[in-house]
Amino acid sequence: MTTEDRRATTKLLFTELRSSGDPQKRDQLAKLHLPLVEYLAKRFKDRGEPLDDLIQVGSVGLLKAIDRFDLDRGVEFSTYATPTIVGELKRYFRDKGWAVRVPRRLQELSLRLNKLVAQLTQDLGRAPTVPELAKAAGVSEDEVLEALESGQAYSTTSLDAPSGDDDDAPMRMDRIGSEDTSLDNLEHFASLKPLIDQLPERERMILRLRFFDDMTQSKIAEHVGISQMHVSRLLSRILEYLRQGFEGDAQY
Amino acid sequence: MAFDTVSLTVPATAGHLAILRTTVGGFAARDQFTLDQVDDLRMAVEEAAVQLLRHSRGDRLNMDIQTTDSGVEVRLLTQVDGDDPIIDEGSFSWTILRALADDIRVESHAEQATITLEKHRLVIPGGTVERDSR
Repeated sequence: MTTEDRRATTKLLFTELRSSGDPQKRDQLAKLHLPLVEYLAKRFKDRGEPLDDLIQVGSVGLLKAIDRFDLDRGVEFSTYATPTIVGELKRYFRDKGWAVRVPRRLQELSLRLNKLVAQLTQDLGRAPTVPELAKAAGVSEDEVLEALESGQAYSTTSLDAPSGDDDDAPMRMDRIGSEDTSLDNLEHFASLKPLIDQLPERERMILRLRFFDDMTQSKIAEHVGISQMHVSRLLSRILEYLRQGFEGDAQY
Repeated sequence: MAFDTVSLTVPATAGHLAILRTTVGGFAARDQFTLDQVDDLRMAVEEAAVQLLRHSRGDRLNMDIQTTDSGVEVRLLTQVDGDDPIIDEGSFSWTILRALADDIRVESHAEQATITLEKHRLVIPGGTVERDSR
């Protein structure tokens, strides 16, 4: 598809989406512009995060841009969407709090470990231990711990970040779309229901799988198509959000 | 293992939760726990500590981590008023802890509230490796 074709198709899809509200048009727009997300995500690939996770984060930005784009402004959609997608990626790193502060050596090790974790999980049928990881990576246990700790350096205050009104619906939602995310088990936690209802669908599902279906983080990671470390971060963030909800106002 | 027990006392404020989380994570990671389990423990300790902080009437929160034959035991303790249990079975908090730890004990006695968490190793050091069937 040439750039011209893409522009014409984009315009057409937006016109149809705005008049009909057909979610399929939204999906088509997202698919059409996924290469833009991939291109932008690659600019962040040396920071120690798996590219798949970055593409997913960028896709959230893309969907926000699709929902907010105004055809009448006379701006090309890709021009409009780029800062939103980059903003989402930057926010992701900022939430992790390590964009610049973690030494390059650790970022590289963390990236390598991320890949090894996935591979070892497959081979072992469970998540690896730190000694196993150290052996596979050819580094000391201390170095592994240091790298993992830096990767975990998210702050729980990341919840102060802008409210993710549509922080779900990654491209891979189609893989999990048909599942029941109603959290029926949670019904008797009446005070929590309004909070849980506000969570994006993917987060609701992760919450249910981990705490009610007793699925391990590794299995959830495989199921949802993100890394175990990403699942870990999301779970911590969800729990923190629910705790804040008990105390008063919370925004996810 | 290189160590059997670690004890830590921190001020009873939310700002010190990270120290508890990090400490228990470091302990478990060196003790043959899988990464999933290490994260489970970190989250469990945070949840238990948050519940203790809500009821704490003292200025200290104490954590003991101990290696056991089957895994690790973490005991969190603080001063409270009265002897009412600080987590009800059937509460959301209880549900979370049940999913994260293999055993939980919640006790209040002599104005001290204690939450004890146990996590079993999936990998037996120097022995057989249990496959996680879940």
